[in-house]
Amino acid sequence: MLELKEISKNFGDVKAIDSISLKINEGEILGLVGPNGSGKSTLLKIMLGITRPSAGKLSFNGKELTPKDWKEIRKKMGYMPERVNFYDNLTGKETLELFTKVKGGDLGGVPVILKKVGLDNASHRRVGGYSKGMRQRLNLAQALCNDPDFLVLDEPTSGLDPVGTKEFYNILSNVRARKKLTVILSSHILAEIEDKINRVAVLKAGALKAVGSFEELYSDLNLPLKISVALKGKDEALERILKEAGASDIGYEEGCLTASLQKEEKLRVLSAVMGRNGNVVDISIREPNLEEVFFGIH
Amino acid sequence: MVFTNAMRAIALKELSDKLKSKWVLVIASGFAAFTIVIAYFGGATSGVAGFRSMDATIASLTSLVTYFIPILALTLGGGIIADERDKGTLEIFLSSPISISEFIMGKFFGLAIALAISTLVGLGISGAILLIQLGFSAVGSYVIFMLNSVILGLIFLSVSFLVSILFNERARVIAFTVFLWLFFAVLYDLGLVGLLIVTKGAVGSDIFSTLLTLNPVDIYRVLNFLSIGELKVFLGLASVELPEYMRTSVLWGVSLLWVALPLIVSYHLFKKRYLA
Repeated sequence: MLELKEISKNFGDVKAIDSISLKINEGEILGLVGPNGSGKSTLLKIMLGITRPSAGKLSFNGKELTPKDWKEIRKKMGYMPERVNFYDNLTGKETLELFTKVKGGDLGGVPVILKKVGLDNASHRRVGGYSKGMRQRLNLAQALCNDPDFLVLDEPTSGLDPVGTKEFYNILSNVRARKKLTVILSSHILAEIEDKINRVAVLKAGALKAVGSFEELYSDLNLPLKISVALKGKDEALERILKEAGASDIGYEEGCLTASLQKEEKLRVLSAVMGRNGNVVDISIREPNLEEVFFGIH
Repeated sequence: MVFTNAMRAIALKELSDKLKSKWVLVIASGFAAFTIVIAYFGGATSGVAGFRSMDATIASLTSLVTYFIPILALTLGGGIIADERDKGTLEIFLSSPISISEFIMGKFFGLAIALAISTLVGLGISGAILLIQLGFSAVGSYVIFMLNSVILGLIFLSVSFLVSILFNERARVIAFTVFLWLFFAVLYDLGLVGLLIVTKGAVGSDIFSTLLTLNPVDIYRVLNFLSIGELKVFLGLASVELPEYMRTSVLWGVSLLWVALPLIVSYHLFKKRYLA
Protein backbone atom coordinates (compact mmCIF):
# COMPACT_ATOMS: atom_id res chain seq x y z
CA MET A 1 0.00 0.00 0.00
CA LEU A 2 2.19 2.88 1.26
CA GLU A 3 5.91 2.49 0.86
CA LEU A 4 8.70 4.73 2.08
CA LYS A 5 12.08 4.40 0.38
CA GLU A 6 15.13 5.87 2.11
CA ILE A 7 13.16 8.81 3.47
CA SER A 8 15.18 11.50 5.24
CA LYS A 9 14.16 14.81 6.69
CA ASN A 10 16.47 17.56 7.85
CA PHE A 11 15.47 20.66 9.77
CA GLY A 12 18.52 22.84 9.25
CA ASP A 13 21.44 20.84 10.61
CA VAL A 14 19.18 18.51 12.57
CA LYS A 15 18.48 15.15 10.98
CA ALA A 16 14.93 14.37 12.13
CA ILE A 17 14.51 11.28 9.92
CA ASP A 18 17.46 9.27 8.76
CA SER A 19 17.00 7.18 5.62
CA ILE A 20 13.93 5.19 6.65
CA SER A 21 12.56 2.50 4.38
CA LEU A 22 9.25 1.02 5.45
CA LYS A 23 6.39 -0.76 3.74
CA ILE A 24 2.90 -0.58 5.20
CA ASN A 25 0.87 -3.58 4.10
CA GLU A 26 -2.78 -3.40 3.19
CA GLY A 27 -5.11 -4.20 6.08
CA GLU A 28 -2.47 -4.33 8.79
CA ILE A 29 -2.11 -2.31 11.98
CA LEU A 30 1.42 -1.02 12.27
CA GLY A 31 2.52 0.31 15.63
CA LEU A 32 4.98 3.18 15.53
CA VAL A 33 6.89 3.40 18.79
CA GLY A 34 9.82 5.41 20.03
CA PRO A 35 10.75 7.89 22.74
CA ASN A 36 9.95 11.59 22.52
CA GLY A 37 11.98 13.24 19.78
CA SER A 38 12.56 9.97 17.93
CA GLY A 39 10.85 11.32 14.80
CA LYS A 40 7.44 9.59 15.08
CA SER A 41 5.40 12.73 14.41
CA THR A 42 7.64 13.86 11.56
CA LEU A 43 7.39 10.43 9.96
CA LEU A 44 3.59 10.46 10.30
CA LYS A 45 3.44 13.91 8.70
CA ILE A 46 5.59 12.68 5.83
CA MET A 47 3.20 9.75 5.35
CA LEU A 48 0.30 12.22 5.24
CA GLY A 49 2.06 14.57 2.82
CA ILE A 50 2.00 17.42 5.35
CA THR A 51 5.80 17.47 5.58
CA ARG A 52 7.96 17.07 2.51
CA PRO A 53 10.94 14.72 2.88
CA SER A 54 14.43 16.12 2.20
CA ALA A 55 15.33 12.91 0.39
CA GLY A 56 13.75 9.60 -0.53
CA LYS A 57 10.56 8.53 -2.22
CA LEU A 58 7.03 7.59 -1.24
CA SER A 59 4.76 5.39 -3.26
CA PHE A 60 1.10 4.49 -2.83
CA ASN A 61 -0.20 1.25 -4.33
CA GLY A 62 2.99 1.05 -6.37
CA LYS A 63 2.75 4.57 -7.78
CA GLU A 64 5.49 7.00 -6.85
CA LEU A 65 3.98 10.12 -5.27
CA THR A 66 4.64 13.69 -6.40
CA PRO A 67 3.33 16.75 -4.50
CA LYS A 68 0.43 16.98 -6.98
CA ASP A 69 -0.78 13.47 -6.08
CA TRP A 70 -1.45 14.19 -2.43
CA LYS A 71 -4.85 15.77 -2.89
CA GLU A 72 -6.09 12.57 -4.52
CA ILE A 73 -4.30 10.24 -2.08
CA ARG A 74 -5.73 12.08 0.94
CA LYS A 75 -9.24 11.20 -0.22
CA LYS A 76 -8.36 7.67 0.91
CA MET A 77 -6.70 8.77 4.15
CA GLY A 78 -7.97 9.62 7.61
CA TYR A 79 -5.83 11.30 10.23
CA MET A 80 -6.48 11.59 13.93
CA PRO A 81 -4.04 14.08 15.48
CA GLU A 82 -3.01 13.64 19.09
CA ARG A 83 -4.74 16.68 20.50
CA VAL A 84 -7.74 18.41 18.98
CA ASN A 85 -10.13 20.66 20.86
CA PHE A 86 -12.44 21.43 17.92
CA TYR A 87 -14.78 24.42 17.93
CA ASP A 88 -16.60 24.91 21.22
CA ASN A 89 -19.52 26.70 19.57
CA LEU A 90 -20.34 23.90 17.12
CA THR A 91 -22.27 20.75 17.98
CA GLY A 92 -20.70 17.34 17.38
CA LYS A 93 -22.90 16.88 14.31
CA GLU A 94 -22.00 20.31 12.88
CA THR A 95 -18.31 19.60 13.45
CA LEU A 96 -18.48 16.29 11.65
CA GLU A 97 -20.53 17.80 8.83
CA LEU A 98 -17.89 20.51 8.38
CA PHE A 99 -15.04 18.02 8.02
CA THR A 100 -17.14 15.69 5.87
CA LYS A 101 -17.79 18.55 3.44
CA VAL A 102 -14.13 19.61 3.49
CA LYS A 103 -12.98 16.05 2.80
CA GLY A 104 -15.62 15.42 0.17
CA GLY A 105 -17.31 12.65 2.17
CA ASP A 106 -20.97 11.65 2.16
CA LEU A 107 -23.08 13.85 4.45
CA GLY A 108 -25.64 11.07 4.68
CA GLY A 109 -23.05 8.99 6.52
CA VAL A 110 -22.61 11.50 9.36
CA PRO A 111 -25.29 10.00 11.67
CA VAL A 112 -23.88 6.51 11.00
CA ILE A 113 -20.36 7.54 11.99
CA LEU A 114 -21.62 9.38 15.06
CA LYS A 115 -23.39 6.19 16.08
CA LYS A 116 -20.26 4.12 15.40
CA VAL A 117 -18.23 6.24 17.79
CA GLY A 118 -21.04 6.37 20.35
CA LEU A 119 -21.82 10.07 20.02
CA ASP A 120 -25.28 9.74 18.48
CA ASN A 121 -26.98 10.81 21.70
CA ALA A 122 -24.65 13.79 22.15
CA SER A 123 -24.53 14.87 18.51
CA HIS A 124 -26.69 17.96 19.11
CA ARG A 125 -24.67 19.09 22.10
CA ARG A 126 -21.97 21.72 21.71
CA VAL A 127 -18.43 20.36 21.66
CA GLY A 128 -17.52 22.89 24.36
CA GLY A 129 -19.39 20.65 26.81
CA TYR A 130 -17.76 17.39 25.65
CA SER A 131 -15.44 15.40 27.90
CA LYS A 132 -11.91 14.51 26.78
CA GLY A 133 -13.11 11.02 25.83
CA MET A 134 -15.98 12.39 23.75
CA ARG A 135 -13.63 14.77 21.94
CA GLN A 136 -11.32 11.87 21.11
CA ARG A 137 -14.27 9.90 19.76
CA LEU A 138 -15.26 12.92 17.66
CA ASN A 139 -11.62 13.10 16.55
CA LEU A 140 -11.86 9.48 15.39
CA ALA A 141 -15.18 10.26 13.70
CA GLN A 142 -13.64 13.07 11.65
CA ALA A 143 -10.81 10.73 10.64
CA LEU A 144 -13.41 8.24 9.39
CA CYS A 145 -15.79 10.71 7.74
CA ASN A 146 -14.40 10.29 4.22
CA ASP A 147 -14.54 6.48 4.46
CA PRO A 148 -10.74 6.10 4.31
CA ASP A 149 -8.75 2.97 3.46
CA PHE A 150 -5.76 4.21 5.41
CA LEU A 151 -5.98 5.55 8.95
CA VAL A 152 -3.22 7.35 10.84
CA LEU A 153 -3.72 7.59 14.60
CA ASP A 154 -1.26 9.74 16.55
CA GLU A 155 -1.29 8.86 20.26
CA PRO A 156 -5.07 8.31 20.07
CA THR A 157 -5.64 7.56 23.76
CA SER A 158 -3.39 10.29 25.13
CA GLY A 159 -5.06 11.78 28.20
CA LEU A 160 -7.86 9.18 28.35
CA ASP A 161 -8.62 7.21 31.50
CA PRO A 162 -8.57 3.37 31.32
CA VAL A 163 -12.32 3.21 30.62
CA GLY A 164 -12.02 5.77 27.82
CA THR A 165 -9.01 3.93 26.41
CA LYS A 166 -10.86 0.61 26.40
CA GLU A 167 -13.89 2.23 24.76
CA PHE A 168 -11.69 3.80 22.11
CA TYR A 169 -10.08 0.50 21.12
CA ASN A 170 -13.47 -1.24 21.14
CA ILE A 171 -14.78 1.34 18.67
CA LEU A 172 -11.68 0.96 16.49
CA SER A 173 -12.06 -2.80 16.58
CA ASN A 174 -15.74 -2.55 15.56
CA VAL A 175 -14.87 -0.18 12.73
CA ARG A 176 -12.20 -2.58 11.48
CA ALA A 177 -14.59 -5.49 11.74
CA ARG A 178 -16.74 -3.82 9.08
CA LYS A 179 -13.91 -2.58 6.88
CA LYS A 180 -10.34 -3.86 6.82
CA LEU A 181 -8.65 -0.51 7.30
CA THR A 182 -4.89 -0.15 7.17
CA VAL A 183 -3.90 1.59 10.39
CA ILE A 184 -0.73 3.27 11.62
CA LEU A 185 -0.89 3.62 15.35
CA SER A 186 1.66 5.81 17.07
CA SER A 187 1.88 5.45 20.81
CA HIS A 188 4.29 5.65 23.69
CA ILE A 189 2.07 3.46 25.90
CA LEU A 190 3.51 0.18 24.71
CA ALA A 191 1.50 -2.14 26.94
CA GLU A 192 -1.68 -0.59 25.56
CA ILE A 193 -1.03 -1.28 21.88
CA GLU A 194 0.77 -4.59 22.27
CA ASP A 195 -2.25 -6.78 21.55
CA LYS A 196 -3.70 -4.44 18.94
CA ILE A 197 -0.94 -4.31 16.35
CA ASN A 198 0.22 -6.75 13.67
CA ARG A 199 3.70 -5.27 13.33
CA VAL A 200 5.76 -2.70 15.13
CA ALA A 201 8.29 -0.17 13.85
CA VAL A 202 10.74 1.07 16.47
CA LEU A 203 12.29 4.50 15.99
CA LYS A 204 15.27 5.99 17.74
CA ALA A 205 16.87 9.35 16.95
CA GLY A 206 15.16 9.48 13.57
CA ALA A 207 16.33 6.02 12.49
CA LEU A 208 14.28 2.85 12.12
CA LYS A 209 15.84 0.46 14.61
CA ALA A 210 13.61 -2.52 13.96
CA VAL A 211 10.43 -3.48 12.18
CA GLY A 212 8.46 -6.70 12.21
CA SER A 213 5.86 -8.65 14.07
CA PHE A 214 6.20 -8.79 17.81
CA GLU A 215 7.25 -12.47 17.60
CA GLU A 216 9.89 -11.72 14.96
CA LEU A 217 11.44 -8.94 17.01
CA TYR A 218 11.33 -11.09 20.14
CA SER A 219 12.97 -13.94 18.32
CA ASP A 220 15.64 -11.69 16.77
CA LEU A 221 16.50 -10.16 20.10
CA ASN A 222 16.50 -13.53 21.90
CA LEU A 223 15.18 -11.90 25.04
CA PRO A 224 14.89 -14.13 28.12
CA LEU A 225 11.62 -15.44 29.55
CA LYS A 226 10.60 -14.32 33.02
CA ILE A 227 9.84 -17.11 35.50
CA SER A 228 8.15 -16.54 38.81
CA VAL A 229 7.74 -19.36 41.33
CA ALA A 230 5.51 -18.78 44.35
CA LEU A 231 7.01 -20.67 47.32
CA LYS A 232 5.99 -21.62 50.83
CA GLY A 233 9.48 -20.64 51.95
CA LYS A 234 12.92 -19.73 50.70
CA ASP A 235 14.36 -22.56 48.57
CA GLU A 236 18.13 -22.46 48.09
CA ALA A 237 18.14 -25.79 46.26
CA LEU A 238 15.77 -24.43 43.66
CA GLU A 239 17.95 -21.34 43.30
CA ARG A 240 20.90 -23.64 42.55
CA ILE A 241 18.87 -25.61 39.98
CA LEU A 242 17.88 -22.40 38.24
CA LYS A 243 21.46 -21.19 38.24
CA GLU A 244 22.67 -24.50 36.76
CA ALA A 245 19.99 -24.20 34.07
CA GLY A 246 21.53 -20.89 33.01
CA ALA A 247 18.96 -18.59 34.62
CA SER A 248 20.05 -15.08 35.54
CA ASP A 249 18.70 -12.20 37.69
CA ILE A 250 17.68 -14.73 40.37
CA GLY A 251 16.01 -13.09 43.34
CA TYR A 252 12.92 -12.88 45.53
CA GLU A 253 9.95 -10.55 44.98
CA GLU A 254 6.96 -10.65 47.35
CA GLY A 255 7.50 -14.32 48.30
CA CYS A 256 8.21 -15.42 44.76
CA LEU A 257 11.49 -16.64 43.37
CA THR A 258 12.03 -14.79 40.09
CA ALA A 259 14.58 -15.32 37.33
CA SER A 260 15.26 -14.74 33.66
CA LEU A 261 15.95 -17.71 31.44
CA GLN A 262 16.50 -18.48 27.78
CA LYS A 263 13.61 -20.02 25.86
CA GLU A 264 15.45 -23.32 25.19
CA GLU A 265 15.91 -23.86 28.97
CA LYS A 266 12.18 -23.54 29.65
CA LEU A 267 11.28 -27.26 29.82
CA ARG A 268 14.39 -28.17 31.79
CA VAL A 269 13.69 -25.50 34.39
CA LEU A 270 9.99 -26.38 34.54
CA SER A 271 10.67 -30.05 35.26
CA ALA A 272 13.21 -29.07 37.93
CA VAL A 273 10.68 -26.79 39.58
CA MET A 274 7.98 -29.49 39.42
CA GLY A 275 10.38 -31.79 41.22
CA ARG A 276 10.32 -29.38 44.18
CA ASN A 277 6.52 -29.40 44.34
CA GLY A 278 6.45 -29.75 48.11
CA ASN A 279 7.51 -26.14 48.45
CA VAL A 280 6.03 -24.76 45.22
CA VAL A 281 2.63 -23.05 45.36
CA ASP A 282 2.39 -21.64 41.82
CA ILE A 283 4.48 -21.10 38.68
CA SER A 284 4.19 -18.52 35.96
CA ILE A 285 6.34 -18.05 32.88
CA ARG A 286 5.96 -14.85 30.94
CA GLU A 287 7.28 -13.97 27.50
CA PRO A 288 8.80 -10.51 27.08
CA ASN A 289 6.26 -7.77 26.46
CA LEU A 290 6.54 -4.96 23.91
CA GLU A 291 8.13 -2.71 26.46
CA GLU A 292 10.94 -5.22 27.06
CA VAL A 293 11.37 -5.69 23.31
CA PHE A 294 11.46 -1.90 22.96
CA PHE A 295 14.14 -1.52 25.61
CA GLY A 296 15.98 -4.51 24.17
CA ILE A 297 16.22 -2.67 20.86
CA HIS A 298 17.20 0.58 22.52
CA MET B 1 -10.45 30.42 -9.18
CA VAL B 2 -13.15 27.79 -8.77
CA PHE B 3 -15.29 28.06 -5.64
CA THR B 4 -15.14 24.45 -4.46
CA ASN B 5 -17.42 22.67 -1.97
CA ALA B 6 -14.57 22.62 0.57
CA MET B 7 -14.10 26.39 0.22
CA ARG B 8 -17.82 26.90 0.61
CA ALA B 9 -17.90 24.76 3.75
CA ILE B 10 -15.00 26.66 5.32
CA ALA B 11 -16.44 30.05 4.31
CA LEU B 12 -19.89 29.19 5.65
CA LYS B 13 -18.38 28.02 8.94
CA GLU B 14 -16.57 31.36 9.38
CA LEU B 15 -19.65 33.38 8.40
CA SER B 16 -21.91 31.31 10.61
CA ASP B 17 -19.52 31.81 13.58
CA LYS B 18 -19.70 35.59 13.16
CA LEU B 19 -23.47 35.59 12.77
CA LYS B 20 -24.09 33.24 15.72
CA SER B 21 -21.74 35.15 18.00
CA LYS B 22 -23.64 38.37 17.13
CA TRP B 23 -20.37 39.86 15.86
CA VAL B 24 -22.05 41.02 12.66
CA LEU B 25 -24.99 42.51 14.59
CA VAL B 26 -22.77 44.35 17.08
CA ILE B 27 -20.47 45.77 14.41
CA ALA B 28 -23.34 46.81 12.13
CA SER B 29 -25.12 48.51 15.06
CA GLY B 30 -21.87 50.22 16.03
CA PHE B 31 -21.35 51.47 12.50
CA ALA B 32 -24.91 52.77 12.29
CA ALA B 33 -24.78 54.51 15.67
CA PHE B 34 -21.34 56.07 15.16
CA THR B 35 -22.08 57.29 11.65
CA ILE B 36 -25.38 58.90 12.71
CA VAL B 37 -23.66 60.65 15.63
CA ILE B 38 -20.77 61.82 13.42
CA ALA B 39 -23.17 62.96 10.71
CA TYR B 40 -25.25 64.93 13.22
CA PHE B 41 -22.45 66.43 15.26
CA GLY B 42 -19.82 66.62 12.49
CA GLY B 43 -20.16 70.39 12.29
CA ALA B 44 -20.28 70.96 16.05
CA THR B 45 -16.80 72.49 16.07
CA SER B 46 -18.17 75.38 14.04
CA GLY B 47 -21.06 75.73 16.48
CA VAL B 48 -23.64 73.95 14.33
CA ALA B 49 -25.36 70.68 15.18
CA GLY B 50 -27.57 68.82 12.73
CA PHE B 51 -27.35 67.04 9.42
CA ARG B 52 -25.29 68.96 6.86
CA SER B 53 -24.76 68.31 3.16
CA MET B 54 -24.09 64.73 2.08
CA ASP B 55 -20.61 65.69 0.78
CA ALA B 56 -19.61 67.16 4.14
CA THR B 57 -21.08 64.12 5.88
CA ILE B 58 -19.15 61.68 3.69
CA ALA B 59 -15.97 63.64 4.45
CA SER B 60 -16.62 63.31 8.19
CA LEU B 61 -17.55 59.64 7.91
CA THR B 62 -14.40 58.95 5.90
CA SER B 63 -12.33 60.04 8.90
CA LEU B 64 -14.30 57.71 11.17
CA VAL B 65 -14.05 54.76 8.83
CA THR B 66 -10.29 55.14 8.28
CA TYR B 67 -9.80 54.48 11.99
CA PHE B 68 -12.58 51.99 12.56
CA ILE B 69 -12.46 49.55 9.63
CA PRO B 70 -8.69 48.83 9.51
CA ILE B 71 -8.47 47.83 13.18
CA LEU B 72 -11.67 45.84 12.89
CA ALA B 73 -10.48 43.91 9.84
CA LEU B 74 -6.98 43.39 11.26
CA THR B 75 -8.32 41.91 14.48
CA LEU B 76 -10.91 39.84 12.59
CA GLY B 77 -8.35 37.88 10.59
CA GLY B 78 -5.23 38.29 12.73
CA GLY B 79 -5.73 35.13 14.77
CA ILE B 80 -7.22 32.98 12.07
CA ILE B 81 -4.28 30.57 11.64
CA ALA B 82 -3.12 30.69 15.28
CA ASP B 83 -6.65 29.70 16.37
CA GLU B 84 -6.72 26.65 14.10
CA ARG B 85 -3.22 25.64 15.16
CA ASP B 86 -4.00 26.02 18.87
CA LYS B 87 -7.18 23.97 18.52
CA GLY B 88 -5.30 21.28 16.61
CA THR B 89 -7.72 21.52 13.68
CA LEU B 90 -5.07 22.96 11.34
CA GLU B 91 -3.48 19.51 11.01
CA ILE B 92 -6.84 18.04 10.06
CA PHE B 93 -7.24 20.61 7.30
CA LEU B 94 -3.65 20.04 6.13
CA SER B 95 -4.22 16.30 5.92
CA SER B 96 -7.53 16.75 4.07
CA PRO B 97 -7.88 16.51 0.30
CA ILE B 98 -7.95 20.29 -0.15
CA SER B 99 -5.32 22.72 -1.42
CA ILE B 100 -3.82 25.52 0.65
CA SER B 101 -5.51 28.09 -1.56
CA GLU B 102 -8.91 26.47 -0.90
CA PHE B 103 -8.25 26.66 2.84
CA ILE B 104 -7.03 30.27 2.84
CA MET B 105 -9.64 31.54 0.38
CA GLY B 106 -12.44 29.72 2.19
CA LYS B 107 -11.46 31.47 5.40
CA PHE B 108 -11.06 34.79 3.59
CA PHE B 109 -14.41 34.67 1.83
CA GLY B 110 -16.26 33.76 5.03
CA LEU B 111 -14.78 36.62 7.01
CA ALA B 112 -14.98 39.02 4.04
CA ILE B 113 -18.72 38.39 3.71
CA ALA B 114 -19.21 38.91 7.48
CA LEU B 115 -17.24 42.17 7.34
CA ALA B 116 -19.02 43.35 4.19
CA ILE B 117 -22.47 42.62 5.67
CA SER B 118 -21.60 44.54 8.87
CA THR B 119 -20.26 47.50 6.90
CA LEU B 120 -23.09 47.64 4.37
CA VAL B 121 -25.86 47.16 6.94
CA GLY B 122 -24.33 49.64 9.41
CA LEU B 123 -23.55 52.32 6.86
CA GLY B 124 -26.76 51.49 4.98
CA ILE B 125 -28.98 52.21 7.99
CA SER B 126 -27.33 55.57 8.66
CA GLY B 127 -27.26 56.25 4.91
CA ALA B 128 -31.01 55.70 4.66
CA ILE B 129 -31.60 58.15 7.52
CA LEU B 130 -29.25 60.71 5.93
CA LEU B 131 -30.85 60.38 2.51
CA ILE B 132 -34.33 60.86 4.00
CA GLN B 133 -33.09 64.00 5.79
CA LEU B 134 -30.92 65.43 3.00
CA GLY B 135 -32.62 64.21 -0.14
CA PHE B 136 -31.76 61.43 -2.55
CA SER B 137 -29.62 63.46 -4.97
CA ALA B 138 -26.39 62.27 -3.31
CA VAL B 139 -27.34 58.59 -3.23
CA GLY B 140 -24.61 57.76 -5.80
CA SER B 141 -21.82 59.31 -3.70
CA TYR B 142 -23.03 57.52 -0.60
CA VAL B 143 -23.22 54.14 -2.37
CA ILE B 144 -19.65 54.65 -3.65
CA PHE B 145 -18.58 55.59 -0.12
CA MET B 146 -20.09 52.33 1.19
CA LEU B 147 -18.40 50.34 -1.58
CA ASN B 148 -15.04 52.00 -0.87
CA SER B 149 -15.47 51.20 2.82
CA VAL B 150 -16.06 47.52 2.02
CA ILE B 151 -12.93 47.46 -0.17
CA LEU B 152 -10.89 49.09 2.62
CA GLY B 153 -12.08 46.34 4.95
CA LEU B 154 -11.12 43.63 2.45
CA ILE B 155 -7.62 45.12 2.10
CA PHE B 156 -6.96 45.04 5.83
CA LEU B 157 -8.55 41.62 6.16
CA SER B 158 -6.13 40.38 3.53
CA VAL B 159 -3.22 42.01 5.38
CA SER B 160 -4.44 40.37 8.61
CA PHE B 161 -4.11 36.91 7.00
CA LEU B 162 -0.48 37.67 6.26
CA VAL B 163 0.06 38.77 9.88
CA SER B 164 -1.62 35.58 11.08
CA ILE B 165 0.78 33.43 9.08
CA LEU B 166 3.85 35.56 9.85
CA PHE B 167 3.54 35.24 13.61
CA ASN B 168 2.91 32.07 15.60
CA GLU B 169 2.13 33.67 18.92
CA ARG B 170 -1.12 35.47 19.55
CA ALA B 171 0.61 38.23 21.57
CA ARG B 172 2.88 39.03 18.62
CA VAL B 173 -0.09 39.04 16.26
CA ILE B 174 -1.87 41.58 18.46
CA ALA B 175 1.23 43.77 18.83
CA PHE B 176 1.91 43.80 15.10
CA THR B 177 -1.77 44.43 14.34
CA VAL B 178 -1.77 47.52 16.55
CA PHE B 179 1.47 48.69 14.94
CA LEU B 180 0.08 48.23 11.41
CA TRP B 181 -3.09 50.10 12.28
CA LEU B 182 -1.13 52.97 13.81
CA PHE B 183 1.22 53.04 10.85
CA PHE B 184 -1.42 53.12 8.11
CA ALA B 185 -4.07 55.21 9.89
CA VAL B 186 -1.81 57.79 11.56
CA LEU B 187 1.96 57.61 11.10
CA TYR B 188 2.11 57.24 7.33
CA ASP B 189 0.26 60.51 6.72
CA LEU B 190 2.36 62.27 9.33
CA GLY B 191 5.39 61.08 7.39
CA LEU B 192 3.93 62.41 4.13
CA VAL B 193 3.18 65.79 5.67
CA GLY B 194 6.69 65.85 7.13
CA LEU B 195 8.11 65.04 3.70
CA LEU B 196 6.20 67.94 2.15
CA ILE B 197 7.40 70.32 4.87
CA VAL B 198 11.03 69.23 4.69
CA THR B 199 11.11 69.42 0.88
CA LYS B 200 9.03 72.63 0.95
CA GLY B 201 6.51 71.02 -1.41
CA ALA B 202 9.16 70.11 -3.96
CA VAL B 203 7.97 66.50 -4.09
CA GLY B 204 6.59 65.87 -7.57
CA SER B 205 2.97 64.85 -7.97
CA ASP B 206 4.01 61.49 -9.47
CA ILE B 207 6.08 60.60 -6.42
CA PHE B 208 3.40 61.91 -4.09
CA SER B 209 0.70 59.91 -5.88
CA THR B 210 2.80 56.78 -5.76
CA LEU B 211 3.34 57.31 -2.05
CA LEU B 212 -0.42 57.68 -1.57
CA THR B 213 -1.10 54.36 -3.32
CA LEU B 214 1.30 52.64 -0.92
CA ASN B 215 -1.16 53.29 1.88
CA PRO B 216 -4.64 51.77 1.40
CA VAL B 217 -6.08 54.28 3.89
CA ASP B 218 -4.94 57.13 1.64
CA ILE B 219 -6.34 55.40 -1.44
CA TYR B 220 -9.65 55.15 0.41
CA ARG B 221 -9.59 58.84 1.32
CA VAL B 222 -8.73 59.92 -2.22
CA LEU B 223 -11.45 57.66 -3.66
CA ASN B 224 -14.10 59.18 -1.40
CA PHE B 225 -13.03 62.74 -2.05
CA LEU B 226 -12.85 62.10 -5.79
CA SER B 227 -16.45 60.85 -5.67
CA ILE B 228 -17.68 64.02 -3.98
CA GLY B 229 -15.46 66.22 -6.16
CA GLU B 230 -13.71 68.07 -3.36
CA LEU B 231 -10.39 66.34 -3.27
CA LYS B 232 -8.18 69.41 -2.78
CA VAL B 233 -10.16 70.89 0.07
CA PHE B 234 -10.38 67.69 2.02
CA LEU B 235 -6.86 66.48 1.35
CA GLY B 236 -5.64 69.57 3.16
CA LEU B 237 -2.69 69.52 0.82
CA ALA B 238 -3.68 72.33 -1.50
CA SER B 239 -0.18 72.69 -2.86
CA VAL B 240 -0.24 69.19 -4.34
CA GLU B 241 -1.93 68.41 -7.62
CA LEU B 242 -2.73 64.78 -8.25
CA PRO B 243 -1.96 63.62 -11.80
CA GLU B 244 -4.68 62.78 -14.29
CA TYR B 245 -4.18 59.02 -14.00
CA MET B 246 -5.27 59.05 -10.35
CA ARG B 247 -8.79 58.26 -11.42
CA THR B 248 -11.36 56.23 -9.51
CA SER B 249 -10.99 53.21 -11.78
CA VAL B 250 -7.18 53.18 -11.37
CA LEU B 251 -7.46 53.51 -7.61
CA TRP B 252 -10.01 50.70 -7.45
CA GLY B 253 -7.56 48.60 -9.46
CA VAL B 254 -4.77 49.43 -7.01
CA SER B 255 -7.13 48.61 -4.13
CA LEU B 256 -7.86 45.18 -5.61
CA LEU B 257 -4.10 44.63 -5.92
CA TRP B 258 -3.87 45.50 -2.24
CA VAL B 259 -6.45 42.78 -1.54
CA ALA B 260 -4.77 40.20 -3.76
CA LEU B 261 -1.08 40.68 -2.96
CA PRO B 262 -1.16 39.92 0.78
CA LEU B 263 -3.25 36.83 0.04
CA ILE B 264 -0.77 35.63 -2.58
CA VAL B 265 2.14 36.21 -0.19
CA SER B 266 0.12 34.49 2.56
CA TYR B 267 -0.34 31.44 0.33
CA HIS B 268 3.39 31.09 -0.35
CA LEU B 269 4.36 31.79 3.24
CA PHE B 270 1.82 29.28 4.52
CA LYS B 271 3.15 26.65 2.14
CA LYS B 272 6.72 27.31 3.28
CA ARG B 273 5.85 27.34 6.97
CA TYR B 274 3.38 24.48 7.26
CA LEU B 275 4.26 22.18 4.36
CA ALA B 276 8.06 22.37 4.49
